[in-house]
Amino acid sequence: MSVSIAKQGYQLGHGHDDHDHEQVIYQETRDMRLLGFVLFLCSDVVLFSSFIFAYIYLRTTVAPIWPPMIDGHQLPRLDTAFAAVNSVVLFGSGVTMHYALENWKHGTRAMYNLFMGLTILLGAMFLGGQAYEYAHAQIGGWSGNTFGASFFTLTGMHGFHVFVGVVFLAVLWWQSSRGVYDHERYFGLTAGTLYWHFVDVIWVALFFLFYLW
Amino acid sequence: MATIAPGVKTGPYHAVLDHIHPEPTSFIRKYIFSIDHKVIGIQYMITGGLFFLIAGMLAEVIRYTLLQPQGQMGISAATYNGVYSMHGSAMVWLVIIPLVTGAFGNFVMPLQIGARDVAFPWLNLLAFWMFPVAGVILFSSFLIGAPDAGWTEYPPISVQGPPGTTLWCIAIFLIGVSSTLTGINFIVTIYKMRAPGMTLTRMPLFVWAQFATAGLSFIATTALAAALLALFCERVFNVPFYDPSRGGSPVLWQHMFWFYSHPAVYIMILPAFGIVSEVLPTFSRKPIFGYKMIAFSTVAIALLGFSVWAHHMFTSGMVPWLQLPFMIITMLIAIPTGVKIFSWVATLWGGSIRWTTPMLFATGFLITFTLGGLTGFFLAAVPADYHEHGTYFVVAHFHYVLYGGSVMGLFAGFYYWWPKMTGRMYNEAMGQWHFWITFVAFNCTFMPMHWLGLMGMPRRVPIYDPAAWYVFWNQFASISSFVLAASMLLFAYNFWSSFRSGKIAGPNPWGARTLEWMISSPAPYYNFKKIPAVLATPYDFGNPLPYLGLEAAEGATEATPTHSSHPVPTY
Repeated sequence: MSVSIAKQGYQLGHGHDDHDHEQVIYQETRDMRLLGFVLFLCSDVVLFSSFIFAYIYLRTTVAPIWPPMIDGHQLPRLDTAFAAVNSVVLFGSGVTMHYALENWKHGTRAMYNLFMGLTILLGAMFLGGQAYEYAHAQIGGWSGNTFGASFFTLTGMHGFHVFVGVVFLAVLWWQSSRGVYDHERYFGLTAGTLYWHFVDVIWVALFFLFYLW
Repeated sequence: MATIAPGVKTGPYHAVLDHIHPEPTSFIRKYIFSIDHKVIGIQYMITGGLFFLIAGMLAEVIRYTLLQPQGQMGISAATYNGVYSMHGSAMVWLVIIPLVTGAFGNFVMPLQIGARDVAFPWLNLLAFWMFPVAGVILFSSFLIGAPDAGWTEYPPISVQGPPGTTLWCIAIFLIGVSSTLTGINFIVTIYKMRAPGMTLTRMPLFVWAQFATAGLSFIATTALAAALLALFCERVFNVPFYDPSRGGSPVLWQHMFWFYSHPAVYIMILPAFGIVSEVLPTFSRKPIFGYKMIAFSTVAIALLGFSVWAHHMFTSGMVPWLQLPFMIITMLIAIPTGVKIFSWVATLWGGSIRWTTPMLFATGFLITFTLGGLTGFFLAAVPADYHEHGTYFVVAHFHYVLYGGSVMGLFAGFYYWWPKMTGRMYNEAMGQWHFWITFVAFNCTFMPMHWLGLMGMPRRVPIYDPAAWYVFWNQFASISSFVLAASMLLFAYNFWSSFRSGKIAGPNPWGARTLEWMISSPAPYYNFKKIPAVLATPYDFGNPLPYLGLEAAEGATEATPTHSSHPVPTY
């Protein structure tokens, strides 16, 4: 019991006025939300990882040949060139998202609007590209074989995440135009950026697994 | 910044602790859609208790069927399949997991860390309400044909199974989302909202257990979600994942399912470990032996728990060279578990033991859980497992760890924290009778299953060898299980009468030292008038209380002994 209170790692308060108190509450709440959001993304990574495991398992230990044979014909590979262009669109949106957040922090509102708009546009373009690809992929559809099952389930789940991301960013854009965030308090934008980068990173794995492997 | 003691200000994250939402006044906001962690915890208890009643009745249907070797009239093989599948699914997902995390985690954990609520109270409300909805969906599958492939729902049977299997997928998916959200909520709460001075190694052991459990639930549960999503797509949209005739693999389900469900075993047992670690020192009036070893072995079990899933699949056509590492890692888990068992036994040694009901359940837990752990060792050994797989030996094993472990731990926790929940004492004599009937009837029910299994009786079959030996032990187990069920009436009556007219408990009837006992019973809405500073672990019986700046409830600390019959611990 002789442990002195000073050793407990307490930080002294910054002051007693209301503004400081409110600022501390904001920071603490923001940090907790940030941790919670990162944990949510981690559990989402496990969701994708499980399906990726399923794909690798079906491809390497079950299928005798890949792409699998259907009615005596081997299925074609996917169109890597088109997907590469579409990937550049998605990764480009990751870059513009980064600049959107940076411009928000620095208070350059016009540039923020430009980059936010670009991000949403690129995200929507990626979804359009994916729809085009779905219409033209000759791999027997979602329920035809294990190739189609893994491909459409994984990229469909990813596409759903992109769609949610586009809606998320649009809401954030609307909120920021309504003055919900200021240049010091913008947790929503941080979360949106994190989510968008997460979607990008998942796509890196999917691009490698479906188009390059 | 709030001042917590003369000259001491709160540290990081404590402004938010001081900040409390106003107490709601309307009935609906107070008791139905409450965001108060204590109310949500009790809601979990009531809902989980109802589901326990239903799932327990299903268990009695199983035991009733097995009274005769040819089964019973009126219970067809198909009905029987539905009954045991739903019994297992409900007990795992609607009873034990929500009770150990949602109920006790919610009620006790924020109080023990000196917080006023969890980190995300609204998320907590959302997670809770998914639980009864999932329960209704799961049980309504009886109306359209209950799932019939056991609680593990192995394909291809589950792919071809009755329509209710689709509802099963939806219900378990929902409860999984609820469990993930609760896990995230608890990690943030424990990591960020502990009272000042409560370092990780000063947390009560129940909080350590909840921390490790939350880590398991938020990581592992999404793997189950993926498996369920694939099963759902295969059943509804005919997407081939598991059907071997279309290039899928039933073993894939087993991998994804057990990658969740083995950690889920620890989700179910670690909080019970935490409860026992609170009850034993309180009623031995002695510091817990090996605080750090118990805390770290909890984390070790959680980590190892992720790398042993394939020991459920030794007979599933797995590559033989993988069996050895899975066997060895599984057996390694006996080390941290043994550390705990020995630490608990050492806590009892030389203590001034009071045989109250929670203490009886906690020591009963030590015996039955250890027996269950030992048979786990048999099942982990590949050659023995070839013989025991799919027999009643497995049933005996997991009922010893889940009923003898988790449920006994839950009973201990329920009796222990009942005064804190209601402010009233239960009837001690009735509680002790409940323990002794439970303990004897439990062992009589499940012990014979060990030898029934070793003699080759398969699980999940409504008929069995009519030789007198099999009939005798099955009837013995069935009749014991009826007694076990009847003992629940005693339990229910005890709490009902206590709730109505029990003796007023006061803030700290047990003379315990963790923070929840420092405030009045039932705990006030805001929990703590002032957030206390914590100077040491809560288990140093014989020392002054390690809390500074605490506005303790009147009489809360009186029960703390001023002397101790043992030397000051050296850990």
